Amino acid sequence: MKTESNTNICNESVFNSVFKSNSKTVFNFIYYKFGNEEKANDAVQEAFVKLWENCAKVTPEKAKSFLYTVANNLYLNVLKAEKVRLKYADKSLKSTNESPEFIMEGNEFKEKLENALNALPENQRTTFLLNRIDGKKYAEIAEMEGVSVKAIEKRIHLALKSLREKIDGI
Amino acid sequence: MQENHLAKWLNNELSEEELIVFRQSEEYKSYQKIVAATDNLKSPDFNVDKALLDFQSRTKATEPKVIAMRPYKKFFKVAAAIALLLAASYFYVNTLGQNITTQFAENKEITLPDNSEIVLNADSNISYDEKNWNQKRNINLDGEAFFKVAKGEKFTVATDNGSVTVLGTQFNVENRAGYFEVSCYEGLVSVIYDGKETKLPAGNSFLAINGKITNLDAIKNGHPSWIDKESTFKSIPLKYVLDEFERQHNITVKTQDINLDQLFTGTFSNTDINLALQSISVPSQLKIKLEGTKVLFYAENMP
Repeated sequence: MKTESNTNICNESVFNSVFKSNSKTVFNFIYYKFGNEEKANDAVQEAFVKLWENCAKVTPEKAKSFLYTVANNLYLNVLKAEKVRLKYADKSLKSTNESPEFIMEGNEFKEKLENALNALPENQRTTFLLNRIDGKKYAEIAEMEGVSVKAIEKRIHLALKSLREKIDGI
Repeated sequence: MQENHLAKWLNNELSEEELIVFRQSEEYKSYQKIVAATDNLKSPDFNVDKALLDFQSRTKATEPKVIAMRPYKKFFKVAAAIALLLAASYFYVNTLGQNITTQFAENKEITLPDNSEIVLNADSNISYDEKNWNQKRNINLDGEAFFKVAKGEKFTVATDNGSVTVLGTQFNVENRAGYFEVSCYEGLVSVIYDGKETKLPAGNSFLAINGKITNLDAIKNGHPSWIDKESTFKSIPLKYVLDEFERQHNITVKTQDINLDQLFTGTFSNTDINLALQSISVPSQLKIKLEGTKVLFYAENMP
């Protein structure tokens, strides 16, 4: 059983651990939506300031959805989506001894993928990337976005579908 | 194929049969390629520790709750200071109590709450606490006064030279610079001078001039001569006689080539200045020159 001081977000060490385990995802969440790093950083600060101010009212279980709601509301209808730019973690792809044609094709494919991702509706892109990059389960994303798991599955399905259509040039 | 099968496939939720069907479809390869590519995607760098430091400096810089309290703190500080000042001045004014002063050439009669009487000689001041008079009969005296004390609790006259304590009697206290005289006319008074106590029965006088103590006689059942508008001296240095003359006639005395320590015995009038001047100058063999509010005493044998 946890003691009162361990479960209260007003406790600084509890708050810091909440910060460390959630700030990166809050950042990504906003970045996938709007493609703006600066605003994503601001959103992290704003969301956690709000959480700190309301630490007595928000239970640790509610802290996550509180953070995403605050971050989401911050730029709702305010910020225009910019292009989301993503890097590739696996640099070894480029250093293989594949033929120049294949590498060229690979680079072409990446560009197509990036364009296709940016063409997705904001909620599909965010959901898809949270799953692919951050490894979030459908249920977790559903909690962040405040929708059902089924709605998340729908978004993933539609996102994959339109990505393929864009890339295959249908 | 079930609803949202792409999402199910991505989450490994498809059944064996569904998976076989899906793998045979022509889009399968494209989906596989997309998923493989997105597995390698990375979001922009985000430094958690730096963000936490930013957050901490931000919340420390604002500290909203503390700021909200400060104006009240300041207010309470000021309020406490004012309250203290008011209380202190109230008690100070209270301790001052009654304060009665006479000018040059002025006498005053005062009746105290217990019907004790005080006659205040010229250029003198008394103060006492009227409220607590019946508990504590304390008088602060600067100058000279005659007391008729009603019987009761201890009656104390405090001066900067010494203090006089009685129970019920008539006595005179004169307290001038370097000069302290107590004359008892009735009863018994206790004089504390220089830390030593002297019992003074009726008809006795206690005199200290610059610390030199002399015991003199006083008239039993009488009163000091100044009550009858006369000042009487018995072997008193001329300096104190002239000081008293100044006080009684509101005049400035100047001296020239005179031994102020020569002793004077006699009486002068407190009402008739010319008579008083003669009373002093003739027995002391001095000459006088009166000019308005100034009088000059000088030696007779001067050229």
